[in-house]
Amino acid sequence: MHEASSGSARKRTMLIIVVLIVGALAAVLAATASARPAAKTISVAIVANPQMQDIASLTPSLFTAKSGIKVKYTILDEGKLREVTTRDVGSGGKAFDAVMIGPYEAPQFGTAGLLHDLTPMAKADKTYNYGDLIPAVRNALSAKGHLYASPFYGESSFLMYRKDILAKAGVSMPLHPTWDQVATIARKINTPSMAGICLRGKPGWGDLGASFTTVLNTFGGTWWSSTPSGQPAAAQVDQPQFKTALDFYAKLAQDAGEKDAANSSFNECLAAYQAGKVSMWYDATVAAGLLEAANSPVKGKNGYAFAPVEKTKASGWLWTWALAIPKSSPDPTDAWKFISWATSAQYIKAAGTHTKGGWPSIPPGTRVSTYAIPQYKAAAKAFASITLAAMKAAPITNPGTTKRPGLPGVQYVGIPQFQDVGNRCTQLFSSVIAGSMKDSDALSQCQEIASQAIK
Amino acid sequence: MTAAAADVALKGRVGDPFSSAWRRRLPLLPALLYSIAVTQLPFLVSIYYSFTNLKDKTQSLIPEPTKFVGIDNYKQIFSDPFFRQAVWTSVQMTVFAVVLSLVFGTLFALLLDRKFLGQGLVRTLLITPFLLMPVVAALIWKQQMFSSLFGLLDKALTFLGLSSVQFISSHPLASIVTVLVWQWTPFMMLIILAGLQSQPGDILESANVDGASGFGIFRQLTLPHLRRYLELGALLGSIFIVQAFDAIDVMTGGGPGSTNIPYYVYQESIGGGFRYGSASAYAIVVVIFSIIIATFALRVLSSLFKDEERA
Repeated sequence: MHEASSGSARKRTMLIIVVLIVGALAAVLAATASARPAAKTISVAIVANPQMQDIASLTPSLFTAKSGIKVKYTILDEGKLREVTTRDVGSGGKAFDAVMIGPYEAPQFGTAGLLHDLTPMAKADKTYNYGDLIPAVRNALSAKGHLYASPFYGESSFLMYRKDILAKAGVSMPLHPTWDQVATIARKINTPSMAGICLRGKPGWGDLGASFTTVLNTFGGTWWSSTPSGQPAAAQVDQPQFKTALDFYAKLAQDAGEKDAANSSFNECLAAYQAGKVSMWYDATVAAGLLEAANSPVKGKNGYAFAPVEKTKASGWLWTWALAIPKSSPDPTDAWKFISWATSAQYIKAAGTHTKGGWPSIPPGTRVSTYAIPQYKAAAKAFASITLAAMKAAPITNPGTTKRPGLPGVQYVGIPQFQDVGNRCTQLFSSVIAGSMKDSDALSQCQEIASQAIK
Repeated sequence: MTAAAADVALKGRVGDPFSSAWRRRLPLLPALLYSIAVTQLPFLVSIYYSFTNLKDKTQSLIPEPTKFVGIDNYKQIFSDPFFRQAVWTSVQMTVFAVVLSLVFGTLFALLLDRKFLGQGLVRTLLITPFLLMPVVAALIWKQQMFSSLFGLLDKALTFLGLSSVQFISSHPLASIVTVLVWQWTPFMMLIILAGLQSQPGDILESANVDGASGFGIFRQLTLPHLRRYLELGALLGSIFIVQAFDAIDVMTGGGPGSTNIPYYVYQESIGGGFRYGSASAYAIVVVIFSIIIATFALRVLSSLFKDEERA
């Protein structure tokens, strides 16, 4: 009797234990399975620039209301976005249905089979109007005729300056200036309260790296020499042209650059320029739309000149922030619905009437039709035509004076190693700008990094 | 299984999974297996990776299959000047941050050890920095204190008629140490406060009666009493601060004077380098060195305690 009761008690205990374990396992499985809500929500990673923040705030009223698809935005700064997308796309993570990338990533990820080919959907979608995309931008985002990302905005680089300040100083800016001319003017108009020129100095291949590489190109330098097949052959950071370019850039930033240049990039320069703390600014053409926006304090005071050159004919970069669908996206159909809306001519028009900045601050440089909108033509008179001309002139297949690997590409070298090399070397160059490191030390360390990377 | 069969099974022999000892262990088993799966397996995998040239998929456009490279990654460590720089930065960052936060922690603890009006409020305020997320703390310092556009320090310098200083870009190490000290001082303060409050009052009283000066009491009585608390604070502080990452990522994003070992390993791996093979080797060397240093430090500490008992 005693034996039997202890047996059944034991049985009960065992049963409870088994139930608990099974229950725990089931709970864990259920938790992982239900991590994504069943409702239609897509996750999108975008870069933290003003035009993207506009679309994030307009999405609920203009997109979700009609399509029933909720969009969860992850807004990151350029460097973090790259890190997150490279990691997520590269490892097949399922965090994002659509990611914002550029012409550096799109062909590389695309040919590696990590992105959906958008060509069939783009061509089938009549409202999307594939033929309307600006050819230079479309080509930069394609590989072997396949479009891997749909452009949200496109840009080149150019020089923006305050006409009133230059006039007061009695100088004039040519439409096609050289870097020497720009440096002379910058030093002349530089005052303690208003710097001569804003140059990117913040570490990051897409920050300081982009501006500096256009200068490097036109000074005749390059990061790597090229083998006949277009692969990197040897690091060229120890060459005299590289040193000349770095010294020129760092010295200009120190003599006539903005406060704390080593910590500034697009957004910092934008703030400084709008606050009247700098007189000139070499950066992305997309900035012009923000300077001329309805709510900008420097509206109407600005002149624009092509990217300064030294030994080449043109030096402006070509960049576009574009939306792509990773192969690992849990919901590619809805992701395309979102992308075809966000990068459509209709959205561009909607942005003109719905955003605080108004017509000048719409996402430019992606569609031919944008430059035919009468309101935009009127509002962006100062910069629309030079933007389009700069984008067409961007030397994407022949940026420098020597043959180089990783083409097409102006302000970056289109090889996977450039991301790391560019980031680490610009950390060193940024220290040179800050004055805490000697140029020769930075260059020899960077040469080491660049050689190691292609070994 | 029928009830009868289950009964037979439950009677059990020694060593079978239904014996009473095993029934007691069984509920713990999932937790144990889980801990092994999430801590030890990744470590073993890292050891394996450290002997390969594993790279990220996005980096493999130049066709290069992962292959076994023997101890190449480990050999590279000792010829890599950037790793040496990172080690030196780590050492400086940890030593400065720990020593300074101990000094400030002691001062604040001495303050809080006495009774005064508003003591509770002051205590809360002093502890607050430690409750803040490290990323938030770093951002506050970067944007509101050090920034040359809207930083308080810059405003103060301009007000005093001094030229502005580019804190983060010109002095990255000092800026990061400042934030670390600000965050870790409350931690040290709490440990030392516990030490102060465990000090017997009668000794202090008799020292007072004997006519000892305040500073004399502190140097001769309080400090020796606090010694083990200071040592504990230094040990725990070093363990935590050597892993500093958030402040570096937020404030400088790496660079000379701010890339410490964890940040360098991050740069080599998911932070852009995507050389998982060599990054694993760095990580493993760091683990080995940490174990050696920690063992050594603990031994020094325990011998210090023994000395004290003997004296």
